[in-house]
Amino acid sequence: MTGDDDPTRRDAERLAPLVYDELRRIAAHFIRGERPGQTLQATALVHEAYLRLATAGTPWHDKRHFVGIAARAMRQILVERARARGARKRWAGLDRVTLTDALAVAAPDAAMLPALDEALTRLEAIDPEQARLVELRYFAGLSIEEAAEALSMSPATLKRRWALARAWLFRELSQSSLE
Amino acid sequence: MTAGMTTEQQRRVARLFEAAVDLDPPRAASFIATEAADDAVVRNEVLSLLASHSRAGAFLQQPIGDAAPELFDDDLALAPGASVGPYVIVRELGRGGMGRVYLATDSRLGRTVALKALAPDLLRDRTQRERLRREARAAASLSHPGICTVYALEEVDGELYIATEVVDGHTLRDEMASAKRRSRDVLATALELATALAAAHAAGVVHRDLKPENVMRTRDGRLKILDFGLARIDPARSGPDVFAAAAPPITHAGVVAGTPAYMAPEQIEGGRVDARTDVFAFGVLVYEYASGVHPFGGASPLATAARVLEHDAQPLAVRCPDLPDGLSEVVTRCLQKRAADRFGSAAEIVGALKATGDAMGGAPSTRWWRMHQLVVAVLYLAAAVLAWQIKEWVETPLTVAIFIVLGGVATVGAVLRGHLVFTDRMNRPRLTEERHRTRRGIVLIDFVLAAMLMLDAIATGGVRALPAVFALSLAVGVSLASVVLEPATTRAAFGDEA
Repeated sequence: MTGDDDPTRRDAERLAPLVYDELRRIAAHFIRGERPGQTLQATALVHEAYLRLATAGTPWHDKRHFVGIAARAMRQILVERARARGARKRWAGLDRVTLTDALAVAAPDAAMLPALDEALTRLEAIDPEQARLVELRYFAGLSIEEAAEALSMSPATLKRRWALARAWLFRELSQSSLE
Repeated sequence: MTAGMTTEQQRRVARLFEAAVDLDPPRAASFIATEAADDAVVRNEVLSLLASHSRAGAFLQQPIGDAAPELFDDDLALAPGASVGPYVIVRELGRGGMGRVYLATDSRLGRTVALKALAPDLLRDRTQRERLRREARAAASLSHPGICTVYALEEVDGELYIATEVVDGHTLRDEMASAKRRSRDVLATALELATALAAAHAAGVVHRDLKPENVMRTRDGRLKILDFGLARIDPARSGPDVFAAAAPPITHAGVVAGTPAYMAPEQIEGGRVDARTDVFAFGVLVYEYASGVHPFGGASPLATAARVLEHDAQPLAVRCPDLPDGLSEVVTRCLQKRAADRFGSAAEIVGALKATGDAMGGAPSTRWWRMHQLVVAVLYLAAAVLAWQIKEWVETPLTVAIFIVLGGVATVGAVLRGHLVFTDRMNRPRLTEERHRTRRGIVLIDFVLAAMLMLDAIATGGVRALPAVFALSLAVGVSLASVVLEPATTRAAFGDEA
């Protein structure tokens, strides 16, 4: 499956800015305290963006399709933002020896994003489906079951593929740090 | 899965990993050894990935939104010492609708600037960024002592920052919180504000968000308007936006606390914004500054917006009868619902206010007041001369005493009035204070002088009728001047009777 033939990818190119805008806007509203006491969850964000965009007359064939695009938009937004806030510098400044441990406890998440994004792009070249899976699980916060439905595979298969993608990315990141 | 492998090898690695991942490690190892006995590259790759998997712990298990919620925060504060391009943050100054404002040092020039970090949702797309750049360029072209200078628009790591002059002082909002303003101060403030606004309008720059929070009074008493042309870059109107209907302008990002209090009707309705929009905001601001009451104040932003659209404000002249009529009329015209009914630009306001200023206390009016002061001083001298002449004609202890008292009082009175005229010409700002200080003394002098002249008239009445009549009429003249004429000329010149 190459990127150009994939209808989801093609639509993503065209519609991502729209989704991107909407996600940003909803996130901003959350942060401005318009919903006091509620923590912002990526899944809620995606869901709300879908509701708004679907009712705004945008031609969404199905929610599954939308979720894929939203997850990709989330990846763009958050990576860009982490980069703007000096993630690269913090990432480079992390103690190399303890990095593997830090990754395993998910401590430096924000600092890691740009590096993760690059690793994800490399993974995409090898297996686009795995990259999509990471976007859904990690950036859009979908559960195993939701992600499985979005990618039309069984939850058991998805779980194993998720393990593979995680292992691959973990190795990439802990190795890249040694360079 | 690594670069050196063929697609076939990569598929095999994935298949074997997925088959082995749920087995316990020893069984997984023997399974891989058997299944990939023929390909060392595949075998090593699968084992390496399985090892990573066992060490990966919580890696990626928690979605980023939960793991780093701060990434969703649109305007994360910059810490002191942080650098943004060439700027080093000193401290945060405040937070507004456009984002946070910091005191920062420009390391290239060594000067201190106010650095405004624009909230990212103001810059969502290219059209908006471009518009903001254009606005910043226009604002940077303004050079007027009444406008805060924009130094630069900086783009650092995809975020936009505006560096401006640092203005040290307080806002008009702060000023409104304290004692009530005097007519003369309101007029002076309105005129200064309109003059600065006119300079911008002449350069084709519209403020869009004029309000008391955006006008500062510097320590040396001058006004400066902040955020020219930059505020209220409304996302909904800068480009194609399919959600405009879903997101009403009032709750739009970029509006401080969603207050439409200084927005003109056409702005609330999403119409065309031009200089006359600023004229409306100017009217609201001056109205509030003069009276302490907002002309369209409602219980909520929405209620205020409704009143801006539908209600006429109570005339300022009713709320503040002391204000010169001209000023109240200017404000009323600024507050017209239809832009076409307002002044066309701030320059027209300046003209109208200057005319009011002239009528209220400009050169022609103080001229009458000054003339009055000089004429009365001459009358004093005439009274002293008359008292001397009367003493020569009818020398009694009484007329001598009257001459001494009258001469002394007249001299002091003439000096005081001369002092006021001199202050008016040379040291205008102190005039009000000097007038108030000398007021009682001058009234007392007039009274004593008139009384002495009356006594003189009585003392001479039986001996020489003509000087007695003259003294009597002089007494009446001085009294009338004090009671009737002086309050009138003073009111004409200064707007008060004191």
